[in-house]
Amino acid sequence: MTNLVVKDLNKRFGGLHVLKGVSFEVDGPELIGLIGPNGAGKTTLTNILDGAIKPNSGTVYLNGHRTDQLQPYEVARAGLGRTFQVTRSFRRMTVLENMFVPALALDRGHNRAEINQKALEVLEFLTIDHLRNEYAQALSGGQQKLLELGRLLMLDPEIVILDEPFAGVHPRLMEVIYRYIERVNGAGKAIILISHQMDSIFTLCRRLLVLNYGDLIADGVPDDVKRDPAVIEAYLGAEEGEPDAGQEGRVQP
Amino acid sequence: MSKQHTPQLAGLVLIAFFAIFPFVYSANDYPYIMHLLITGFFYAILASSWSMLAGYAGQFSFGHMGFTGIGAYTTALFIHYIYISPEATNLCTEYAIGDQFLIFVNPIGITSSTLTQDCLRQALEIWDGSVQVTAMPVWLGIALGTIMGGIFGLLIGLLVLPLRAAYLALFTLGFSEILRATISAELAITRGQAGIELPHLFENGLTLFGRTFDKTDKLPPYFVMFFLLLTCLGILAWLSKSKFGLFVRALREDQDAAAALGVNTTRYKVLVFVITSMMAAAAGAMMAHYIGIITPNNLMILQMSLVVAMAVIGGVENFVAAAIGAIIIEFTLELLRNSFEVGPFVVDMTIWRLVIFGILLMVTLRFSRNGIISPMIDYFFRGHVAKETVAKRATGTSP
Repeated sequence: MTNLVVKDLNKRFGGLHVLKGVSFEVDGPELIGLIGPNGAGKTTLTNILDGAIKPNSGTVYLNGHRTDQLQPYEVARAGLGRTFQVTRSFRRMTVLENMFVPALALDRGHNRAEINQKALEVLEFLTIDHLRNEYAQALSGGQQKLLELGRLLMLDPEIVILDEPFAGVHPRLMEVIYRYIERVNGAGKAIILISHQMDSIFTLCRRLLVLNYGDLIADGVPDDVKRDPAVIEAYLGAEEGEPDAGQEGRVQP
Repeated sequence: MSKQHTPQLAGLVLIAFFAIFPFVYSANDYPYIMHLLITGFFYAILASSWSMLAGYAGQFSFGHMGFTGIGAYTTALFIHYIYISPEATNLCTEYAIGDQFLIFVNPIGITSSTLTQDCLRQALEIWDGSVQVTAMPVWLGIALGTIMGGIFGLLIGLLVLPLRAAYLALFTLGFSEILRATISAELAITRGQAGIELPHLFENGLTLFGRTFDKTDKLPPYFVMFFLLLTCLGILAWLSKSKFGLFVRALREDQDAAAALGVNTTRYKVLVFVITSMMAAAAGAMMAHYIGIITPNNLMILQMSLVVAMAVIGGVENFVAAAIGAIIIEFTLELLRNSFEVGPFVVDMTIWRLVIFGILLMVTLRFSRNGIISPMIDYFFRGHVAKETVAKRATGTSP
């Protein structure tokens, strides 16, 4: 059973206190939405969970092993995978080569034929299998997002952090991403979904974490969070916490 | 045979050509052409290994010539200063090993009055031919030079871990210049600009298949350098097809994303420095023994620029293209040396050839960023991809 314990994380950049004692736990295959206005500390939290930056204080335990002082590759091998807010495909490598990188990095004893078979299955699921031999730079922005998600499936982590997976994506590709989230979560993996697309967050997530300028101001089921006065004041802004459907679910800054 | 096999076939034809060439070419300029080819092979090793470092791994190091210098000076100093003698000199620093003595000759610099007065020469004068000392084997020197290149590659690889792009280039440039300046300054040990003489690859000649070659014959060093080139290309081909090649390219594209996918970026960044530095050092050591002398000028930034230009014109993201580019450019630069007259004007091609070379480099960078040879190879390997993509899309379920 997946278990992530984040305890009292603090991070400062110069005079900015970006994370202020953030604590939460993830138990089992939860589907958690992490929301907050720009500058709330979402990406910093992700970078600390991923090992890319170290906290000033606080701890992160993944399945009982402390990970906050590990290198990103060690965290990935320990079972935490992530995507980036701005898509970071390996542009001058083919789609298949992109898929091979995490599979070979894990070195789980699979031969290349097995990895190739799994990669093709994942690409087909993501509807980009026809692009398998193209360089990633030839893909559209949305297709590159799908490729990044595909690489995560090859990594097969216990916890997946998806940073803005719906940003700038065509509705048809959003359907694919929805199916992807269902597949990953259905396979028993926990997902932390960071997004400004409130419709998607409220549709998919069964628990919400709300960050506001480094403070974790809410942690609960979506209906409760929507009614939380602190959240309404800090983030949602709409009457009684209802997302603004007239703006395609986007939160107004 | 499919179109994709054309580059492999062309490669085999090229290897066969270079293997046969010395036996079928018999013009008067044979030694000169052979020298050009040996030098071309040397630069091909440097350009292809630099292509792995810069083109594949994205580590734009300008210290590659520094590693050739490390290889060359390691073997030079090793052979120049260390001997084995059956008798103690009682003048040099020496250690008994069994019934032999390992002699360390004292450095005396390049003053004319002391040039022949090192401790071993004094001992030899005293012995008056009654004791034979043995110089260190050339091949051991080359092996040590290669290992030393790897050790320095490891150190530089570790030091440049946090550096990227221009900072990495400037750091490695600094390393190379410090090395050159140190060698120039340490007159007593390295003999500075006067250089250190080295024995030839086959100092005592070589007899092969009933034919005897003296130490200045071009054929043995030609095949030695050719073999080293093929070995380096073989290693690079194996690495590029393995997960090493995949990971260093991922490193080039996005180091943070590669790490987030489980790639130990530190290990591969350091490894690529070690491997390519060893190749440069081996080539440098081999070339120094072929030429017979090594000076700090071999490490000049101009030499590094030449290697970079060769790799860029061939195709920096393909080590085979970089190697072919190096051989072609080495030949072109030499063949363009012939000055000619246009009416009353004499065109001094010893200078103008460099201008032509510069223009070729600029045109390549502007219009074909992956060089001239590499796109040709890509055409055969990847020419079918676009058609396949369209066909798969037409038959598949993809949007």
